[in-house]
Amino acid sequence: MKFFFKLVLRDFKLVIKGSNEAIAALLFYILAIIMFPLSSGIESDLLTKIAGGAIWMAALFSSLLSLDRILRSDFDDGSLELLILSGISLEIIIIAKCFSHWLTSGLPLVILSPILCIIIGLDYSYWWILLLTLLIGTPSLTLIGITPAALSCIIGRGGVLTAMVMLPLMLPILILGAGAIQSEISGLGGIGHIYALAAILPISLLVSPFLAAKAIRLGWE
Amino acid sequence: MSGIFNFLANPSRFRRLAERLYPYTFFIMFILLFFGLWFGIYKSPPDYQQGETVRIMYVHVPAAWMAMMIYLSMTIMSFFSLVWRHPLADLLAKSSAPIGAIFTLIALVTGSIWGKPTWGTWWVWDARLTSVLILFFIYLGHIALINVFEDEEKGAKAVAILTLIGAINLPIIKFSVDWWNTLHQPASVIKIDGPSIHIDMMIPLLFMAFTFLFYYISFLFVNVQFELNKRKLKKIYIQNIMREKNE
Repeated sequence: MKFFFKLVLRDFKLVIKGSNEAIAALLFYILAIIMFPLSSGIESDLLTKIAGGAIWMAALFSSLLSLDRILRSDFDDGSLELLILSGISLEIIIIAKCFSHWLTSGLPLVILSPILCIIIGLDYSYWWILLLTLLIGTPSLTLIGITPAALSCIIGRGGVLTAMVMLPLMLPILILGAGAIQSEISGLGGIGHIYALAAILPISLLVSPFLAAKAIRLGWE
Repeated sequence: MSGIFNFLANPSRFRRLAERLYPYTFFIMFILLFFGLWFGIYKSPPDYQQGETVRIMYVHVPAAWMAMMIYLSMTIMSFFSLVWRHPLADLLAKSSAPIGAIFTLIALVTGSIWGKPTWGTWWVWDARLTSVLILFFIYLGHIALINVFEDEEKGAKAVAILTLIGAINLPIIKFSVDWWNTLHQPASVIKIDGPSIHIDMMIPLLFMAFTFLFYYISFLFVNVQFELNKRKLKKIYIQNIMREKNE
């Protein structure tokens, strides 16, 4: 457990110090949301209808952007192998990576979402459901995306192909997350969607570290 | 049981088996297709509500069944390949993917053609249609990923991992009509209290389902032969280069 937090702290520091990519992903998220009112007209009732979906789309794409690199640099420069040699299991390392990825790219989205809620014109009384769906949904996005990200490491290049493999797997989360907001607005109550989202999180937490670790080991064979 | 697996573990042995069997499976497919079309077009009644358009069912429903069954078989193959490292499992999973993608596309397109006269729309975003569309994209991702790897064996293992994740979509497709209130009708053939479809429509439906099954088996044999021959050619090519170097 001590190792776990050290690993998380290490990745966190690397993101803060090193590249600006985490900040870039966050800026992308904000920009993409601002693009929506500009591209689809500024009538407020239309915006209110699509707001939840738009925020979720932006969250999906920004986590897609940053997912590709969470394992790649450590895989390429060999620090992942060194970590293994120090006796920590690969599954724990991957969970730590996911956690730090969520801290640097998922959590800021969640914190920013009430503000963006105002920008895009979603009725402010729905901020809690947006926050809740993002809070439950973004860790699942990271956990589902980690296996394709690991696969892209062993291919040696990422980009469009990884995105194409990841997107269909992430679609259920997008549907449920945006659906929760939609049905809350239409008066049906979005709590059913949130239950389903909350069920996906532990399942993906159980399954995906093992599959991602399997993929990484495949690269070393 | 393990005897069969060991017997099939030799790819060239399986190639000989496939070579010998595939004319027969093609023959059976054509016979079944003849009966299926005969019953479907001439011998089955039009629906009291939908009229003649109901005959699209004889293509649509078996194609959708096959789309799911092929993915299920690919999942089982991937499991075999990851756990027991069976060499044939990778090959069968790889050869199944394009056939599965085609069946999914057929199910989507015929469903769309059927939807226009009966629902009044080509496409709705209901749970069943969306989940089948996701299945189609998963198939496409599978095909795209497997061709990227330089090392064929590594690629097959990587794709097997991906197939296992994608399998979560299968129960969603199957139960989407029960869990959500959808425009797509609920299951009427495969359910607990027996089929609720009349026997006159059941006969062509089953004939067509078995036609599609044999289509899958036949083309699986053809694809496996193609893959194995390709590998053999590569080996011969490398051997020739080595020989030229030595001379």
